[in-house]
Amino acid sequence: MLGFGLAKGLKYTLKNLTKEKPTYEYPKEPLPLPDRFRGIQKFYPEKCIVCNQCSNICPTDCIQLTGKKHPDPTKKGKIIDTYDINFEICILCDLCTEVCPTEAIIMTNNFELAEYSRDELFKNLEWLDENDESVRKVNKP
Amino acid sequence: MVEELLHSQAGILNFGIFFLLAVVLLFVILGFVTYAILAERKVMGFMQLRQGPNQVGGRWGLLQTVADVLKLLLKEDTIPKLADKPLFIIAPVIAFAPSFIVMAAIPFTDKFQFADLGVGLLYYVAISGLTTIGMLTGGWASNNKYALLGGMRAAAQMISYEIPLVMSVIGIVLLTGSLNLNDIVAAQENVWYIVLQPVAFIIFLIASVAELNRVPFDLPEAENELVAGFHVEYSGFRWAMFMLAEYVYIFAMASLTTVLFLGGWHPLFSFLGFIPGAVWFALKFMCVFFLLLWFRSTFPRIRADKLMEFAWKILLPIALANIFLTAIIKEILNLF
Repeated sequence: MLGFGLAKGLKYTLKNLTKEKPTYEYPKEPLPLPDRFRGIQKFYPEKCIVCNQCSNICPTDCIQLTGKKHPDPTKKGKIIDTYDINFEICILCDLCTEVCPTEAIIMTNNFELAEYSRDELFKNLEWLDENDESVRKVNKP
Repeated sequence: MVEELLHSQAGILNFGIFFLLAVVLLFVILGFVTYAILAERKVMGFMQLRQGPNQVGGRWGLLQTVADVLKLLLKEDTIPKLADKPLFIIAPVIAFAPSFIVMAAIPFTDKFQFADLGVGLLYYVAISGLTTIGMLTGGWASNNKYALLGGMRAAAQMISYEIPLVMSVIGIVLLTGSLNLNDIVAAQENVWYIVLQPVAFIIFLIASVAELNRVPFDLPEAENELVAGFHVEYSGFRWAMFMLAEYVYIFAMASLTTVLFLGGWHPLFSFLGFIPGAVWFALKFMCVFFLLLWFRSTFPRIRADKLMEFAWKILLPIALANIFLTAIIKEILNLF
């Protein structure tokens, strides 16, 4: 019957009035993302052994790094000097974090890469070190 | 107070007083329209599981409409090259002015009212019909086929639905024996007319939604059929005038529904009489207004070919039958 359908619709919308909203308060609160989300990398300079594997595996060749000799002459190996990722071309493919033997580079849930200038997309060692919010908890697949 | 003023001598002072009263009413109505639009967007948002405006003006978006109106007023005033310029400019005025004139006749409480007209109801219906001319003029003057179609639809729809609207109210006029809105409210002291005339109420509600050009009868401005109907070519403050007229009519129509069917400022039960009449009026008014918002977010638009049939073949006969029945029952009751 005609009238019944209208009443049914009215009842449905009235019920919706008090239902919980599925929308997110996005800019005010971070989006709930899965742990496996691939966002801007977090870099730990003290863990890095300058093995260059991340730079080599990178498909877009966006990672540039240089190392220097360990300041303590009794220890072998190198420590990191500069570490830059160019987010103009980084595709956030997760390969650098998978290949890293010491887990010095890890994905985070931060995806906000909108900038007013292209230069700001060029992230250096300090920036990547400070990018320490919602870092991926379990890195191994 | 107004009664004395109306009979006082013409002069600069009295003109000033009238002008001031009109400006006060205008600002009250503008305030209502501002928050009516916000309420509409909020209620629709909540019914569609969204939040609605919540950025401008704090958590509840209290300044959203103010910002929107400010934007509209700052927009460039565009007039199409081939438009009929004088008509194009005057059309929003013709559409808006009656909506404000109508407000004079509505009694909000026994004290707060402007003109106590003997034919208040007739006055409302007659004046509100003029808005159609504004819409048709706007549609014609735009020199745009969508605008013209929208204007034609608006005229056809508003004129056809005015008839069941008036016919449904005649039952009330019969019962009261007067067209004066004050008398109609006074007659509802004990029983509201929604109880005595439920059929009339339903017809009136449907016809009033159609008169207001709102969903499910928003064919004159159906966005997805006619772009925007008669106001496609309008922008900025001219468009705002059309929208303002629409919302002032919502105010007027909700007030009229309250006055005619929900007992105006009379309390729900007589022991609740200590609550002032203005609060009762506002409460009933808001219920009617919410009903309009509720309809808008629930019903789909009615099909264009069924629109006229619905008015002439369903609403009008029912309304006529209602008048007939009311008259017979009144006569039978008068015998005893």
